[in-house]
Amino acid sequence: MSLKVSELLDGQFASAELAPVLKDVVSDPGSRDRFTIYGLIGDSLRGNSTPDDGFSLRILQRMRERAVRIDPAFDPLAE
Amino acid sequence: MESADPDVDLVRLAQSGDTRAFEALVVKYQRRIARHVARYVRRAVDVEDLVQDTFIRAYRGLSAFRGDSAFYSWLYRIATNVAITAVKREPMVLLGDSAPEERIDAFEPGVSDGDDPERNVMAGQIADAVQRALARLQPDLAAALMLYEVEGKSYAEIARMLEIPLGTVRTRIFRAREFIAKRLEPVLGSQRSRRW
Repeated sequence: MSLKVSELLDGQFASAELAPVLKDVVSDPGSRDRFTIYGLIGDSLRGNSTPDDGFSLRILQRMRERAVRIDPAFDPLAE
Repeated sequence: MESADPDVDLVRLAQSGDTRAFEALVVKYQRRIARHVARYVRRAVDVEDLVQDTFIRAYRGLSAFRGDSAFYSWLYRIATNVAITAVKREPMVLLGDSAPEERIDAFEPGVSDGDDPERNVMAGQIADAVQRALARLQPDLAAALMLYEVEGKSYAEIARMLEIPLGTVRTRIFRAREFIAKRLEPVLGSQRSRRW
């Protein structure tokens, strides 16, 4: 499974394969953790070793609290 | 699969309504976006607010992403706009003493954030653990990982450069990450419940 996590992080799955792989990874706490740690390793090698420290979870929590939805009329680059 | 943008399929999945795909993008890029907006604002709490706003805007406007540029480039532009808007709104609170381009290394969340010495220590421990593991890593594995993560080469480019099959590139990068991850776990252990 960790090999799939590594490949997922690097965008190595074709569209048809991606959804089931993502489902497997997200449903498994160990795989989610590996995804996070592999990402941290890459960032650390590029000079940014900041611990996640709940940062990602707070972003996702805020999105849920605000019930953020995709809005086809919204341009995120507009002022 | 080899694409100019490694995130394009994940973004398409998110656009189709799979929220897990966007979660993966948040986890993947939150640290890089935090470092970027930290060039504009001083306090860790402001950095976090701006990163959250960036991802919220990106998700709301995900339909507007057409793949003309890489997803991370698009996200980076959103983060820049969010940071500049915030600085214009509250310049005395948010702006540092110098221009953003002069402050690139002045603030790094978790590294130079004076508000949270514990995170500073942790960031230093992570950097040390990664570097120590890298020094002990089999050279062929280290080469593949560094070419991908630091030099920004694609799997296909690495395969050509090292004259190895694409599948070997995949396994070498995976084995390198796993070797380092196992040595990083003792440093991160107590934080597991606070990660995705």
